[in-house]
Amino acid sequence: MTNAPVILTHDLAKSFGDAAAVRGLNLSVGANRITAFLGQNGAGKSTTIKMLLGMIRPSCGEGTVLGKRITDPEENREMRRKVAYVAEDKPLYGYMTVEQTIRFASSFYPDWRDAVARRLLSEYKLPPQRKVKKLSKGMRTKLALLLAFARRPELLILDEPSEGLDPVGIEHLLQMLVTQAAEGVAIFFSSHQIAEVERIADQVCILDNGRLLLDASLDHLRQSYRRIDLVFESAPPEREFRIMGVEKIQSKGHQMSVFASGNAEAVIEHARDLNAVSVEVAPVGLRDIFLETVKEN
Amino acid sequence: MFFKLTPTTGQPLYLQLMQQIRHATETGALQDGDQLPGIRTLAEELVVSPNTVAKAFSELEHGGLLELRQGSGAFVCVKRRTRSLADHVQVARRQLRDLIERLRDDGLSNEEIQRAFEAELLYPVEMVRKR
Amino acid sequence: MLWYKAWLETRSRFLTCLATLTTFCAVFVGHAQGMIHPEWKSDYNRLLFVAQQFIVIMWILAVVLLGMGGIVREKAVGTSSLTLSLPVSRARLLGIRVGMGVLEAIFLAVAPWTTIFLVSSLARMPISITQVGFYVLLLIGGGLAYFAMAIMVSSLVEGEYTAPAVAFGLVLLSAIIFDAWLRPYNLWRLVTGDFYIDRHTYLLSWPFPWQATLGSVSAAASMLLASVKVIQRREF
Repeated sequence: MTNAPVILTHDLAKSFGDAAAVRGLNLSVGANRITAFLGQNGAGKSTTIKMLLGMIRPSCGEGTVLGKRITDPEENREMRRKVAYVAEDKPLYGYMTVEQTIRFASSFYPDWRDAVARRLLSEYKLPPQRKVKKLSKGMRTKLALLLAFARRPELLILDEPSEGLDPVGIEHLLQMLVTQAAEGVAIFFSSHQIAEVERIADQVCILDNGRLLLDASLDHLRQSYRRIDLVFESAPPEREFRIMGVEKIQSKGHQMSVFASGNAEAVIEHARDLNAVSVEVAPVGLRDIFLETVKEN
Repeated sequence: MFFKLTPTTGQPLYLQLMQQIRHATETGALQDGDQLPGIRTLAEELVVSPNTVAKAFSELEHGGLLELRQGSGAFVCVKRRTRSLADHVQVARRQLRDLIERLRDDGLSNEEIQRAFEAELLYPVEMVRKR
Repeated sequence: MLWYKAWLETRSRFLTCLATLTTFCAVFVGHAQGMIHPEWKSDYNRLLFVAQQFIVIMWILAVVLLGMGGIVREKAVGTSSLTLSLPVSRARLLGIRVGMGVLEAIFLAVAPWTTIFLVSSLARMPISITQVGFYVLLLIGGGLAYFAMAIMVSSLVEGEYTAPAVAFGLVLLSAIIFDAWLRPYNLWRLVTGDFYIDRHTYLLSWPFPWQATLGSVSAAASMLLASVKVIQRREF
């Protein structure tokens, strides 16, 4: 049961008029993990999340969240009881006070933890009697996060959670995510902050132009992606390096740089066989992996 | 115990944590019977996924360096075998010092030596296994 | 808590309308009573009939305003993704909003006539409670169709100002069209009591038009049902 994916989509697609926002998405998000959802603005991340929560209907394909079909309104409603969601623009009702907002949200969920809500309220220094519309952007984000973290859902979906937070706020957010994950909550979050993702995510999904380009564990990415810089005495034999795992080759003068998503040992051995004067191997950070993946698309 | 994980190096975080715990037992910073923080506490402290800590712990348990007790956390158990490992490290250090000395004599700068080491170290396991 | 939310959302509109309506009625009737003599009984009844015309105008204005809002409006403000993530069906979200609106509309119909009744009694110009009841029932039974229409418009039209503009336009348009070609079915004349007033005594004449009211209520119900369907199909 705990190993069944919390989110599973099959050929999920959505177009608005002629514009395709999501194309044939096959996503599988595991339980007991922190999964990061990366993509440029307009890559289709929010559209995907809104489809999962039943706010928009898929043009085709299907999906389940916690085993419930997303397109069935009744199943979707049942699923939403066990899912905490922090939307992209941190929507809150401006006419409610902080305290009213908390009371309002708490009434819908049996998994609400009053003690946690109270602790976070004081940690975030939110004024309980202030109207939401008079809160600063950072405070609103904190209140929206509080509503999610005060619960103990089965799945936590966050769309750009760190937007509008200062470094201290971001650190606290990451700690809260870790705490929730340690309590067995599956986490699925989209972010532009690659440094955050790199620290806490177990799994990374990269979406671009509505397509899933990469779905891999960070451990795997760290172990297999390499940039290999080579120097040859004559012009670099670029063609010789078009082998499995090599994503991109650039050469300039006697230098050649190989970007490999795996199989780096073969590249190195090959380079030695071809009498490379210098072989330097460097790991590739998630930022570069993301940029290269998106650029190639 | 202080651990410092670097997300940008080409090494999985759980491996980094394993190495740092192992290193701590070798230097004596962690001794037989010492208790490590629980998975959740350590994950929160390091701000990494709890799975990272869990994986490092379970791998170390397999290796016999940690003993996981239900509900009460992880305990270090340094057997004689690990002690001898510590001695190995001592010997290796001496050898490395000699090697570096020689390379310097050959006119290589620290930076050049470091880069050469890094390039050779990146695939130790895979390359050695292949040969 | 959804009732609480619906109340918070409509509170200021409701209270403003309530204050306006009751003040208007108290002033209108109170101002008139000075010139009243016992033999002008029918004049006073006429005054009440005129009062009903004004009440209807203000009441329709009020219920159309109360019918504005909901998730379509929330989409424009950006809060719809919070509301829709709640484990509540869209039909229930709309249902509670309608429930709160209907309660407030009923209150807004009862309050002005209660004021008139009390002011009249204090001024020793007692009016029959059955006449008051007649006016109130016409207002509620006939007038809820206007509220339902406003709900439907709010489910279809997004803009903050476009939705009320469209709703008021429809109220006006329907009054003109029905008066020109379908006068017997003109809701306006039903609600104001125009169909049932005795032009000599200016008293509403029984029996109460149950059939016509029922017709209006069913029209309201079908518009509400249509709104539910629209809301269920919409994307946010």
